[in-house]
Amino acid sequence: MPMIALLRTGLLALATTTTLAVDLDGRPVTQLAPAGARAVVLFFAASDCPISNRYIPEIQRLTRQFESLGVRVWFVYPNPGDTAKVVRAHDQEFSITAHTALDNKQTLAQMAYATTTPEAAVFIPEGGGLHEVYRGRIDDRYLALGTERPQATRHDLEEAIRAVLAGKPVPQPGGPPVGCSVVTLQP
Amino acid sequence: MKSAGWVLWLILAGEVAATAQDSAVTWSHQIAPLVYNNCTTCHHPGGAGPFSLLTYEDAKRWGTQMAAVTSSRYMPPWLPEHGYGDFADERTLTGDEIALIAKWVQTGMPQGDASASPAPPQYSETWQYGTPDLILTVERPFTLPASGTDIFRNFVLPYPLQQTHYIRAMEIRPAVPRIVHHANILIDRTASFRRAHPAQWKEGVPGMELEVDTGNEFDPDSNFLFWKPDTPVLVEPDGMPWRLDPGNDLILNMHLKPSGKPETASAEIGLYFTDQPPSKQPMLLQLEHDAALDIPPGERSFVVEDALRIPVDVEVLGIYPHAHYLGKRMEAWATLPDQQKKWLIVIPSWDIDRQSVYRYRSPVFLPKGSVVHMRYTYDNSSANEHNPHTPPVRVKAGNRSEDEMAHLWLQVLPVHVPAGSPDPRLLLEEAWMRNWLNKDPRDIIPLYNLASALAAEGKYPEAIAIYRRALALHPGEERTLNELGAALENSGDWQQAQKMFLQDIAAHPGTCNARFNLARSELKHDQASDAELQFRTMLAECPADATIHSGLGAALDSEGHADAAGAEFHAALQIDPHDFTALYNLGGLALQAGQPQQAAGLLQGAVEQRPKDVDARQQLAAAYALSGRMSDAVVQLREAIALSPANPDLHAQLSQALASTGQLEQAIAERKAALHLRADDADDWNNLGVLEARAGRIAEARGDFLRALQLAPNHAQARTNLQRLPPS
Repeated sequence: MPMIALLRTGLLALATTTTLAVDLDGRPVTQLAPAGARAVVLFFAASDCPISNRYIPEIQRLTRQFESLGVRVWFVYPNPGDTAKVVRAHDQEFSITAHTALDNKQTLAQMAYATTTPEAAVFIPEGGGLHEVYRGRIDDRYLALGTERPQATRHDLEEAIRAVLAGKPVPQPGGPPVGCSVVTLQP
Repeated sequence: MKSAGWVLWLILAGEVAATAQDSAVTWSHQIAPLVYNNCTTCHHPGGAGPFSLLTYEDAKRWGTQMAAVTSSRYMPPWLPEHGYGDFADERTLTGDEIALIAKWVQTGMPQGDASASPAPPQYSETWQYGTPDLILTVERPFTLPASGTDIFRNFVLPYPLQQTHYIRAMEIRPAVPRIVHHANILIDRTASFRRAHPAQWKEGVPGMELEVDTGNEFDPDSNFLFWKPDTPVLVEPDGMPWRLDPGNDLILNMHLKPSGKPETASAEIGLYFTDQPPSKQPMLLQLEHDAALDIPPGERSFVVEDALRIPVDVEVLGIYPHAHYLGKRMEAWATLPDQQKKWLIVIPSWDIDRQSVYRYRSPVFLPKGSVVHMRYTYDNSSANEHNPHTPPVRVKAGNRSEDEMAHLWLQVLPVHVPAGSPDPRLLLEEAWMRNWLNKDPRDIIPLYNLASALAAEGKYPEAIAIYRRALALHPGEERTLNELGAALENSGDWQQAQKMFLQDIAAHPGTCNARFNLARSELKHDQASDAELQFRTMLAECPADATIHSGLGAALDSEGHADAAGAEFHAALQIDPHDFTALYNLGGLALQAGQPQQAAGLLQGAVEQRPKDVDARQQLAAAYALSGRMSDAVVQLREAIALSPANPDLHAQLSQALASTGQLEQAIAERKAALHLRADDADDWNNLGVLEARAGRIAEARGDFLRALQLAPNHAQARTNLQRLPPS
């Protein structure tokens, strides 16, 4: 299993006034990591992508499991079709109570280098910025479109979160994310 | 410098434009027709696909995925290898079509001239096949959890009608099509599954495979009732409807995939009836070798095989290979008597999620003596991404999804059946069960089924021996005792038969079948009042059944209670308008009551049910004759004679019918045919004499009358006829 301590060396130095995304009420999201957070997880989702939807219970499980340990999980919707109205209905349909960000400028997708839904990124708060330590699949249930295990045998995202919390080198995903491409923004 | 750059840019732009014009791939011109032909049966709003591809905007949203899944050949879903069996509704894209989609995506998914785009196909939001004659609905929907492994669930849908119906088409409408991989329907003739799960069946019973009790009649499954996302409607070929009787259940076996939120797993089944009973009788045949499934962990290439010799000429109409998660490569072929190898199917990379029944574009003919082979390869290593166990464990056959299966089903239609031979499906059943017994000699199912097939073929001594073998292995078994009794009865040993039935009733007081057979035996052997008692017990204790009413009617008729008998026959026809006993006997009662036209209607129904029943045809001929329909009577009598050429009565009656339509020479020939079979019948000689006299052959007529008088000196008619003859 490849062990890479830090995926990317770049730090995202974010001033508190920078608008990263908006919430479902249109208010700017400027701060991904609340005070004292030990990790930020972005789950890139699409309301119309079946594999992304199938991972919602897993992300909610991880949220419940790690929230009290200082892990902030965001559902991030990067596609232009996922408007506040659409996402609100979707969150209700899937009983999503987690923090939700509309990535209407795809700032977060670019910041995380995410290209797929579902895909997850894990950041560590560091010196006022965020440092990406993991990006990729949630687990190994899907190996390609049409190639699916009956259940996951490796929980890549969970392992990454546990490593962060333990202060250990973060294991990297064992395979590519499988799902739907993030829709390119029209200029 | 500046202007040169400008010029250069213009030239480049011109070139790009020219190229684009030559070979631009647009939605309107190339992609929409391709998508409408191959994708939108599932990918339309409300369809089984996870998203719609009906509009340009839809397709653009999913273009990147379309390019990926078509080039990997995950979509359209199609497992068989091209060239190994020619299947109807083969849904594959050509290499050129796949390249076209890729190019469209690479070039930015242009729409092109929207006005040139074909109109999108229309999909009904309700029943695709129109309003069904009967809709069955899952009584208590199951809530599919938001996540986890796929779930296999069996819902029981009782057939609620009190009449038999033939089904020419069926449509299944899952409440949420997106969560259903595929679904299979089994007909449970005896409601056995429901009885086996009394507390559970309304909620549905988990499990991938199930066994149902097919009952006592030889009534093999005939049709594949399989739903997959792109085939919501199953229309049976002409002449091959399937049948539902009162008391039958449909069992809907659904393979469900969690969607991320709790979903309602439910379905409606729409049935479309036909009045026409099947004119062709296909049969589902199975190859399997589950007993050989014992796959060590880590084994990458575990092979399971079976072979079945086909004892009659058949056409293979469809094929359904089945394994669970470890199955990899599946092959099936037939070796013809001339050793030619004919491929039936090859699936190079099995995927249970995309399993299907495959129907041949045209039937595959297999001459008698062909051997069908199946060869499945299983991968129980961790390299098999479908392996449900991490790490791999030893796997055997079983009905849970983590167990394995090695099944191959064929739908075959016997052809070139020689006239007068037994039902060819019995020979297929016999071959199938012998093959099964070779693999497991102690299994009660093949023992019982083999004996039943032999009994139905009229091979009673062999059937009796096998029933006794089954009873030795499974003493006191209710059904085997009953069927042994029936075989004894049919072999002529009715006293032993009645002993078996009584033994069965004593051991299993609730048994309806042995009681029914005992009653029938009593009816046949002049014990009508005993039979009446048994039938009345059954009416109180057994499920409503047309044959109990018609049996009671026959008992009452024998006891001379024609009115009460008639009422029971009518009750039988209320339940099953095709009940032969009721139609035949009511026809007889109508004849006796001097209502030949009514009798003809009933007896026509009886003949439709049993075209090979000589008595029914003879009675129908009588009804026609008494209604003045002589030429119809002639037709029926000729059919009856074809079935039973050595029956002199039939020739005599035909002679009479022919004479009354003026066909004198043919009438004489038939009367002579009767006399050829019974030379000592004075009436026949007398009647022949009358015909000869009419034909002007006075000398012959005189000889005939003298012969009649020689056989029966007091034959008044012959004497009178002789006296009336003019001198020759």
